[in-house]
Amino acid sequence: MPADTAKPAAPSRTPVYALVGNPNCGKSTLFNALTGLKQKIGNYPGVTVEKKIGTAYSQHGHPLTIIDLPGAYSLAARSPDEAVLRDVLLGRRADTPIPDRIVCIADATNLERNLYLVHQILDLGRPVILVLNMMDVAERAGLVVRAARMEKELGIPVIACEAINGKGLVELKLAMSRHDLPLSRHSWAIPAPIAPAVSEIAASLSENDRRPPLIARAEALLLLTDQDSVRVAGSRPLSERTVEILRSWEKRWAAQGTDWAGALVNSRYDAITELCTHVIERGGMKTGASVSDRIDAVVTHPVWGWVVLGAIMSALFLSIFTLAQFPMDWISEHMASLADAVKHAMPAGDLRDLITDGAIGGVGGVVIFLPQILILFFFIGLLESTGYMARAAFIMDRLMSRVGLNGKSFIPMLSSYACAIPGIMATRTIEDTKDRLVTILVAPLMSCSARLPVYLLMIAALFPVATVPVAAKVGIMISMYALGTLGAFGFAWLFKRTLLKGEPPLMIMELPPYRLPKIRDVALHMVERAWLFLKRAGTIILGISILLWALTAYPKAPVGATDAQQIAQSYAGMAGHALEPVIKPLGFDWQIGIGLITSFAAREVFVSSMGVIFNAQSGEGNTAPLRDALLAAKWPDGRLLFTPLVCITLMVFYVFAMQCMSTIAVVRRETNSWRWPLFQIAYMTGTAWFVCLLIHQIGRALGY
Amino acid sequence: MMTAEFRQPRPRMPLTELPVGATGRVCALDGEAALCQRLREMGFCESAVIEKVSGERTLLCQLCGTRIALSDRAAQHIVVELIRGGV
Ligand SMILES: Nc1nc2c(ncn2[C@@H]2O[C@H](COP(=O)(O)OP(=O)(O)OP(=O)(O)O)[C@@H](O)[C@H]2O)c(=O)[nH]1
Ligand SMILES: [Mg+2]
Repeated sequence: MPADTAKPAAPSRTPVYALVGNPNCGKSTLFNALTGLKQKIGNYPGVTVEKKIGTAYSQHGHPLTIIDLPGAYSLAARSPDEAVLRDVLLGRRADTPIPDRIVCIADATNLERNLYLVHQILDLGRPVILVLNMMDVAERAGLVVRAARMEKELGIPVIACEAINGKGLVELKLAMSRHDLPLSRHSWAIPAPIAPAVSEIAASLSENDRRPPLIARAEALLLLTDQDSVRVAGSRPLSERTVEILRSWEKRWAAQGTDWAGALVNSRYDAITELCTHVIERGGMKTGASVSDRIDAVVTHPVWGWVVLGAIMSALFLSIFTLAQFPMDWISEHMASLADAVKHAMPAGDLRDLITDGAIGGVGGVVIFLPQILILFFFIGLLESTGYMARAAFIMDRLMSRVGLNGKSFIPMLSSYACAIPGIMATRTIEDTKDRLVTILVAPLMSCSARLPVYLLMIAALFPVATVPVAAKVGIMISMYALGTLGAFGFAWLFKRTLLKGEPPLMIMELPPYRLPKIRDVALHMVERAWLFLKRAGTIILGISILLWALTAYPKAPVGATDAQQIAQSYAGMAGHALEPVIKPLGFDWQIGIGLITSFAAREVFVSSMGVIFNAQSGEGNTAPLRDALLAAKWPDGRLLFTPLVCITLMVFYVFAMQCMSTIAVVRRETNSWRWPLFQIAYMTGTAWFVCLLIHQIGRALGY
Repeated sequence: MMTAEFRQPRPRMPLTELPVGATGRVCALDGEAALCQRLREMGFCESAVIEKVSGERTLLCQLCGTRIALSDRAAQHIVVELIRGGV
């Protein structure tokens, strides 16, 4: 971005504000309150990993452009999400306007640490508004933070705020729409021996790297605090001259034995401590352990911690099987009666079959799993909004460090239980590039919500009688999730030892205080996911179902052929037959093969495809539940197709196989090459095939 | 109020060896430059006060009112002096 855009906004243009602060200080909450958008909010660091632009309106109705950014502890970015913040602030992102003004958000309960980043931001020389968020929590903890005094000390507007309750928003908007926002009076004594280095590097940056003067000074300070200039400068390399100057100063200091980087950071902290003594009053500090501490004593306990994690997981799966039954039956009944109504109302023919077998049979088969998916998201939402996520990462750290990753990698993996795509996005918070890549590679092995319909259908086929205790179903379900998770750990271990050898892991992670879950946030998240799921059902799954129906209906078999013969000689049947030699050793026939092919787009499509294929064969009469159609399916020699062994094998296949176009696209984008997504397809699907071969052959040998 | 304590030098140790429940003050960071910088920017700067809450491999500490989880590989580079608690 050219240098001259850093000038203050011309009044005609909508002013651009960036929301900047440490992770988990409430930036997205404030962004949502200002713009009315629905950015994801969660009580753990690293929820937001990409910038988001929205529009707010000032008290006078003027539009203001607001950018929500990932959190960071410093402008010297160590992970991809921190780099997003740095690049937007320094005007290096082509797709984002450089912010004219910066709204810094600091957690009032944790001011000393939060002010470090604020202090760096003040160096940028742009108008800054400081928001002290979470004043309610500060008050409860007996902290008095004097915003007015702070305003006087810093010379910029300081606004006390409770983003979550919408308090302080009016004041903030008034401050934002001021034309004459003052620049900070802040000055801090750069230690004397460093000052000449700062000015020399800054001069070189503005001359040789065409940085605007104020940014040049801030960047010079960052370069001096960080050895790795890539972290500061981003991908565009610095000019040779600047690097030369930097190296010569480094050498000079190394010879003198001064830790200049440490001195710089410490002098910032000195300035902050000085400021804090004036503005913070620790009124009646509560003694004794807080509620959070007492919960932590159990939840992070080396033994009880695991018990709690296990209990949460069991509760999740138990409710998936018990609570979901009623709404599921309801949906499935209505789908069936809808199909029957169409069958009675329309004359027999291709169009009618298209609607009943293709659309309703396919989409309906998937939509009945909506209740389960909602329950899954409800649980994940609870974990995210209470603050448990970070604790889970903490207790997993030990296990994860055995396989060579750190506990932070567990947060993306846990998110992948919902869907691998947000999981892979969340790896942006991982600092080490190799660890990040390993986490991306294994994250799709965590069973995502799209596998849920496949597992549930197979479990239903496995236990057709109603007398089977729920515990058995829950047990199988948990084993599938455990298998995927173990697989992820195993492969992480393997990759860290072979392909991506690297430093042993190292974790530094903040554990936020527990908060009561915001039912509204959880509900919003659930509605959003439900909508996404239905949208997928209405677009991809419907599209593929219709396409598949057409491929099973044409070319037409000679008159007199049965439905089964029709499918067998159709285009889809040909494809399935072509695949059959490869999957026959796993116990799958060509019809399952069709499902495996179509579900490459998305895993749920397997269920809709089975619906299309087997419902079409169930002929006239009433629409039977898919489970019964599956149980009636046979090999040409009369053996049953969906034996218990085949059901289990199929589930295991879906645990391991990489069957998701969207994940592939995201991995391609995040790793910036086709190499890794292709490798991922190969290793995951290869493993799936081998493991299934083993299970099926051993199962057969044992007589199942 | 602290003068009495100043008379005898306080014991120094890496954070990993600080007893659970004790409080220490950071006196030095002795690791690789990049790691030290990271630790400083996270708040583990010289003169910060840390309470060790629990931990063997992964430590849990309280720093300026925040809970922070920290691998022992990072914690062993934080040299603290014992100021309260422990035996
Ligand atoms: N009590 C209280 N909680 C708040 C307030 N503002 C935000 N929160 C909570 O703080 C947590 C973090 O909020 P987010 O908005 O996701 O934080 P963020 O800064 O966007 O976090 P990252 O995207 O991870 O950097 C959520 O659980 C919010 O509900 C507040 O004023 N008071
Ligand atoms: Mg956020």
